[in-house]
Amino acid sequence: MNLFLRVIKLVRFCLFLGLILVSIGMLCGMFLVFYAAKDLPKLPSPLSRIIERPQTQVFASNGQVLITLGERKTIPLNMVSQDFINAILATEDHRFFEHHGVNKLRTLKGLYITLFKSGKVQGASTITQQLAKNLFFSFEKTYQRKFKELLVALQIETSNTKQEILHAYINQIHFGAGAQGVEKASRVFFGKSALDLNLAEAALLAGLPKSPTNYNPYRHYDRAIKRRRVVLKRMAQVGFISDLEAQQAMLSRPALHHEQSDSRTGSYFLDALINDLILKYGEDVVYHGGIKVFATIDTRLQSYARQSLKKGLERLDTMMGIHQEKEDHPQGALVAIDTGSGAVKALVGGRDYYKSEFNRAMNSQRQSGSSFKPFLYYSAFKTLGFHPETIMTDMPVSIPVKGTADWEPKNFNKTFSGDMILKKALINSVNTIAAQIVEKIGPRAVNATAKICGIKSPLKDVYSVALGTSNVTPFEMASAYTVFANLGVRHDPFFFWRVEDAFGRVIFEHIVQEKQVLEPTITYQIVDMMKSVIETGSGRSIRQMGFNRSAAGKTGTTDSYNDAWFTGFTPTLCTSVWTGFDKQKKLVDVNRVGITGGKGAAPIWADFMINALKSEPERDFPIPDDIRFETVDTKTGCNPKEDNETINETIEVLKVPLKPEQQLCVEGEL
Amino acid sequence: MIQQWYEPFSFSEVLRRTFSFLNIAVFIITAIVIFSELRFDWFENLVGSYLVSTNESRPETGAVWDTGKQTASAHEYLNEIISKKEDTRQSVHQAETFLDLASGILPGQWVTLEKEQFKRLYLTLEKPIALKIIEPAQLVWLLNGGSLDRIFCEGITGGIKLYFIDSENRVVKQIDLEKEDILEIENGGKPVPGELADMEGFSGRIYPARVFFDALFKLPVDIIPDLMMDPKPLLKQDGKIINVGIWNEAISGYIRLGFEFEEKKSKQVIFIKGREWAVWQLSLNLKGEGN
Repeated sequence: MNLFLRVIKLVRFCLFLGLILVSIGMLCGMFLVFYAAKDLPKLPSPLSRIIERPQTQVFASNGQVLITLGERKTIPLNMVSQDFINAILATEDHRFFEHHGVNKLRTLKGLYITLFKSGKVQGASTITQQLAKNLFFSFEKTYQRKFKELLVALQIETSNTKQEILHAYINQIHFGAGAQGVEKASRVFFGKSALDLNLAEAALLAGLPKSPTNYNPYRHYDRAIKRRRVVLKRMAQVGFISDLEAQQAMLSRPALHHEQSDSRTGSYFLDALINDLILKYGEDVVYHGGIKVFATIDTRLQSYARQSLKKGLERLDTMMGIHQEKEDHPQGALVAIDTGSGAVKALVGGRDYYKSEFNRAMNSQRQSGSSFKPFLYYSAFKTLGFHPETIMTDMPVSIPVKGTADWEPKNFNKTFSGDMILKKALINSVNTIAAQIVEKIGPRAVNATAKICGIKSPLKDVYSVALGTSNVTPFEMASAYTVFANLGVRHDPFFFWRVEDAFGRVIFEHIVQEKQVLEPTITYQIVDMMKSVIETGSGRSIRQMGFNRSAAGKTGTTDSYNDAWFTGFTPTLCTSVWTGFDKQKKLVDVNRVGITGGKGAAPIWADFMINALKSEPERDFPIPDDIRFETVDTKTGCNPKEDNETINETIEVLKVPLKPEQQLCVEGEL
Repeated sequence: MIQQWYEPFSFSEVLRRTFSFLNIAVFIITAIVIFSELRFDWFENLVGSYLVSTNESRPETGAVWDTGKQTASAHEYLNEIISKKEDTRQSVHQAETFLDLASGILPGQWVTLEKEQFKRLYLTLEKPIALKIIEPAQLVWLLNGGSLDRIFCEGITGGIKLYFIDSENRVVKQIDLEKEDILEIENGGKPVPGELADMEGFSGRIYPARVFFDALFKLPVDIIPDLMMDPKPLLKQDGKIINVGIWNEAISGYIRLGFEFEEKKSKQVIFIKGREWAVWQLSLNLKGEGN
């Protein structure tokens, strides 16, 4: 009797205790609700407002949409494959249509596991709670955040139908790879609409929101497939599909759509353009302003640029004997600018954007080597009255430098050729003559010319600037060389023609302004010399590759073979190509012979220009009215007919453009 | 074990107390509350409804609102740009003179100027003044014969720039107008108080009126109109010309001439412009080197 009484007493005690605890719990709960409600975020009404966000669009010159920033394609539920809806429900919240925002039993179970099983955390968020979290809360894991999230979920449930909640959820959920919303995800990953997803694809997509980065199928396809197995099993358990259907779907390996494979822009050009826009208007306008940007890029040229650089760098790999994927590969950059306006037509900043986003075209400051010499020669022609026929001597030079050892530059081939006209000196890229010139005019004059042409990187006032020891970017080189192509007229380079707001009202328009910064006649003389670089000089590989249009340019190779450049232009398009390693590492072929700009960069340039200009009529550079041409002996600078009664066939002659006052064979010039 | 006075004395007493009306009622109510909650989610509904009722008074915080704020701030900024542009456009549209035009555009602002409006403003100017902006022949070619698409007007510090641009946005002609130039263009011929001797650019080239006009009348008659292309301001001015100065700089083929008037002891200078070659001929006469 005593024992029975005790049991009864205990049961009664427990009941009353439970009752008291429940009552206290409810009171505390009410108190917490009132307390937390003050700080809860306001819920937008209607809920669909959360998926309304203006998108910024960037268009190419042909009107093609290059990118939509903040793109989220919103679709109604009936435009989504039922397999996907089933898959997401089975995986995330199979009792979605039964609860009121909280799955109480799952929450209690989760709470029990989290509290009493050390090291284990059991999530129990319903779709509504996930929606609340995504809309309002950070991802920090605190009980307070969880509680607030739960309260918002309750409000969402009270003020919206299940269909509205599911609609909002599937249209705002992140799938990774820049895809927000099921329609965008479906298009990004499979190149089809969400309505056309089959079971295997739908299950794969439904598995991604748990960890979009870890299960990104572009990077971890097998992990994504493994996760899909879990989704399919859940679908079968819940009864959405049969075991057989699940097994069949598990065998399928959906092909991924490869056009856009990342959340990033996927383009060095777009990165540069977006940076430029942000500098002008700020991030809010660019990412949230819904503006329309009309870019200068020519998608056809951009595609050629990408292909030519890729092909050229693979060729370099072969020359250098780099076969392993793991080995360090040389990088490259290509920038093409319309000479008539300064519009950037193509820009590639590296080998593979998805492996390295570093934009070498815009941000990699490298020594330009001899490709800096045109600025030197222009300065000498302008300040000293030199011209292409002026004679100088290729000989060992030693230039005293204050506070340090004498500067003794050497030629690339380590030999000296004696007297030669300056045209020949540029064609052969003779360093000793360049050194003598810079000693006469001073490095400041060279840098001043480079700066007025558009070089913005800091340039050191040192003699070696004549040999291109200052660091510049391929973008700057392409832009500066357009001044030569335009016979001294400079156009500032730019990335977009026009910016409109969401209603089509113009907020910016680029006006092409011309600035005559170099003297046309002298510039033509430099262009003529650079034309010969391609015909017979260090850039002759361009002709060997079949590029036969009128063009001028200059190779550049740094002393240590760390950088190989070619920057050149036709009358309409100026292109700069750089190749080299990101680290300080030599470009050498399998025989340990250094790779020059003529071998490394010029073929890329030629390949690109052949394709880029194939539909354009051929044009030659305009010759200023006061230019006359003379044929001269490259050693004496004299007309060979005047010099010798009959032209000696061993004499090397070159045609040089001269101004009216510039005379041949002037006494004392030698 | 001692039995307390309040403890039941018998089993039936225990049962009676356990299943008392109060206990059963409490139990049933508790059970109803719990099961109804599990079945009908009334607690969630209650909390949800409460939160709906307080929704409007709660703060707009969280990721979704932040995005909204960024969008609002972007739109505000863009609207500001557009509204400034619209104001500029209106003020340019209403401009009656080039000075109105320059005053309506702040540095950094720009607006597209209709061809017709430019023509209208241009035609309000006296011929010699209009010449200072652009040669009529060139304007005719630009507006009616060339590839001109529109005129783009940009405000700069102290003036405006007019870009005549083609359909590819290339500048085919650019005119920079400083406000001072515009003032001079518009107020050309208006007297400036002071003496020529105090004005820069005339030093050593100031001549007594008689000497100046003697030299002028020695010029061939067909040259004189090029020296005084617009004599109207001089004819309008009261008083007597005492000195005439020749400016030391030629601009766009013209040289400024200053005529110093004296009236009731106050001195004023009126500027007109003469063609460079005609002024040069006059200077030779003044130096006694002319024919």
